[in-house]
Amino acid sequence: MPQQLTVDYTKCTGCRLCELACSAHHENKFQPSLARLKIVRYDDIGVDIPNVCGPCEEAPCVDVCPTYAMRRDPITDMTYVDYDKCILCKSCVGACVNGVIRLDTESMRIIKCDHCDGDPECVKICPTGAIQFGPPARSTVVDRHDKAETYLAEMTRTASEGES
Amino acid sequence: MGFGGYQGTILRVDLGNKQFKEHPIPKEWIRDYIGGDGFAAKILFEEVPPECRPLDKENKLILATGPVTGTSWPTSGRSAFFSKAALTGIWGESHVGGFIGPELKYAGYDLLVIEGRCEKPVYISIEDSDLQLKDASDLWGEMTDTTTSRVRRLEGDPDTQVAAIGPAGEHGVRFSSIIVNYARAAGRTGMGAVLGSKNVKAIAIRGRGAVQVNDHEAFVELAKQAHRRTRENPQAQEMSKWGTWSLTATKQEIGELPTYNHRTGVFSGWEKISAGYIRPRYTVSDRACFGCTIGCKKVNYIKEGEYAGTLEEGPEYEGLMAFGSSLGIDDYPTTLKANEICNKYGMDIISVGTTIAFAMELYEEGILTTEDTGGLELEWGNKKAAIQLLEMIGEREGLGELLSQGSKNAAEAIGPEAEQYAMHVKGLEVSGQDGRTHRSIGLAHATAARGADHLRSLVTVDQLGYEDVAAKRWGKDKLPEIIDPYTEKYKAAAVVETENAYCIRDTLIVCWYSVSWPPIFWMEDFAELLPLVTGIDEFGSVDNLNLIAERQVTLKRLFNAREGITRADDTLPRRFTKDPMPEGPGKGQTVDLDPMLDAYYRRRGWDKETGLPTDKIIKNLSLDWTRDFMN
Repeated sequence: MPQQLTVDYTKCTGCRLCELACSAHHENKFQPSLARLKIVRYDDIGVDIPNVCGPCEEAPCVDVCPTYAMRRDPITDMTYVDYDKCILCKSCVGACVNGVIRLDTESMRIIKCDHCDGDPECVKICPTGAIQFGPPARSTVVDRHDKAETYLAEMTRTASEGES
Repeated sequence: MGFGGYQGTILRVDLGNKQFKEHPIPKEWIRDYIGGDGFAAKILFEEVPPECRPLDKENKLILATGPVTGTSWPTSGRSAFFSKAALTGIWGESHVGGFIGPELKYAGYDLLVIEGRCEKPVYISIEDSDLQLKDASDLWGEMTDTTTSRVRRLEGDPDTQVAAIGPAGEHGVRFSSIIVNYARAAGRTGMGAVLGSKNVKAIAIRGRGAVQVNDHEAFVELAKQAHRRTRENPQAQEMSKWGTWSLTATKQEIGELPTYNHRTGVFSGWEKISAGYIRPRYTVSDRACFGCTIGCKKVNYIKEGEYAGTLEEGPEYEGLMAFGSSLGIDDYPTTLKANEICNKYGMDIISVGTTIAFAMELYEEGILTTEDTGGLELEWGNKKAAIQLLEMIGEREGLGELLSQGSKNAAEAIGPEAEQYAMHVKGLEVSGQDGRTHRSIGLAHATAARGADHLRSLVTVDQLGYEDVAAKRWGKDKLPEIIDPYTEKYKAAAVVETENAYCIRDTLIVCWYSVSWPPIFWMEDFAELLPLVTGIDEFGSVDNLNLIAERQVTLKRLFNAREGITRADDTLPRRFTKDPMPEGPGKGQTVDLDPMLDAYYRRRGWDKETGLPTDKIIKNLSLDWTRDFMN
């Protein structure tokens, strides 16, 4: 069974320890701008959303790659870069719906998540379990959507009451 | 460069000449001061002389980080602002969570020093090595939240970290704050007014670089263990769930919940401002500062009533005290609303709340009347009046003009009959503790460099009765007195030791919630951590760290001595020393400050009569250089 990173934004505190652990592991330094995942923080409404690689049914990074450098492992379902074929066109960077494929302008190579070879550092350091690693079926997508809708409906309700 | 953890660079911005300059950090600064507080003390001592007043253009404002900032060490996301304080005219510092400190490191700088004054409003934009002063004329007058959103838009990058002032800082409200990321406040001592006096509306920072430590592998391993320790610590787990709110119940139980302007320590309405009441009704999300396992920040939302629709982070326990029990208000929505106003205007909720409490007590005593208040009936628990007065202070209107000067200055203006009700030390309003039921905090309030400060040496081990920790740290021979909160005996020993450890904490910089209740980390952990980060073996000695801490405490004292501070200023409000606690578990208690001060000065090597550092200790701490800067 392929394993994927799944996220629950209702548990995310926005601490960005995952970004630190990721860059510490892959780059041997602390540099969130080179992390293979990203926490998007909405300070004004108090919501933090982890953006990670996958799970993608269709992988746009693979589809868009003009040189077939971005490929998908048939067993793990994980996409990866064949650096011998990569021409640094950044198509995958633009196509990634989660915004977590990047061009490292110092080493001039595409960087992306590799699940730390099956034992992701971000999952291990996450203090709240907002990022998990497992079969995609465990994802709580429906539940999360419900929570978001309730939250937004509540804000709309009080906003309209405030106007009346 | 050369040492791990540091970027090795101080960035200075001269607002008058519109110039940015980069300077290397001298190696001996690192050896003698480590970072954060230490660097700032060195710079302010050398560059801000006594004749410079806080709002003069010669005053400087420093944003400082430490060697651990930007790494994966737990709770290392904090940073601090330093200046000669607008509220007190003496040493000023204000620590803040959020993300701006690490971002400054990633941009390539350890410190930002802001000097001079612009003729027009600007904001400071730092995007890696791209340094600019940008026009902020049309941001002037805006609240901090609008300012932050607009600056992020102007910078074109939502990951830009913004520190902003609101109208209070612009108007020179003495206890105005700098607000980071909408709701993290560098609250105390009036940093907002200093920034406002320089015509700087905001500081925007975006950094994409790296922070590298000396021994990466060993450090990462130690940091992982540290995270585990934090996660498994029962107090830290409580903090994750309740933030500091659980203190309301604890304080009520021990009779130290400041109520009616610190008159008493028990509040009949405490339950409605306690953790168990607030969280299920109002909390919608838990958040954290950068790199923090604990995540004590709570975002709260009010569904019904007058303040329906308020969505705001906080307040902490101190806010629940300052805009709750201290004013006799048992209504969380009012407290949250007050916190929102404080954040938007950029005001310190402790100082402004305590100043309003002062006004309410004067009203009760008949010293202020509705004539003075512009019709406001400042009775205890009057929620509407409190909110209205808070906004008047932010705008400096009516009575708000007088109160915006802080309780000390307001009391001096009103007259001698008002002074005993102004709850301050050296001009800084007293935080949510009371020396009568916790002697060591009485001593800490009296001696801390910035005034009535609860963060430089709040001993918790005595108050909460952690006997084993006390025995280990201070020796079995000092038990049981040292953990008896109602006796002065041995409290100087506890205060000095704690102050030293907190001093190192503030040079790293790590959050104080990792060294409290009882500590997850202490000196020996810092001694293990620092050599891995920096590569400097000398930091591996606890004795050396203690020496560095003593040097800093004494340096700040010398800074204040130059401003005329002596033993005579190391006092407490009359209420704590003369009026016995009227009720509760601590009924009948008062603080006997003098014996504690004698012992404190002796331990610090300061003169007993004057409270000033002696020549001998100045020499022993290698602070001889300060003589060139004394008047």
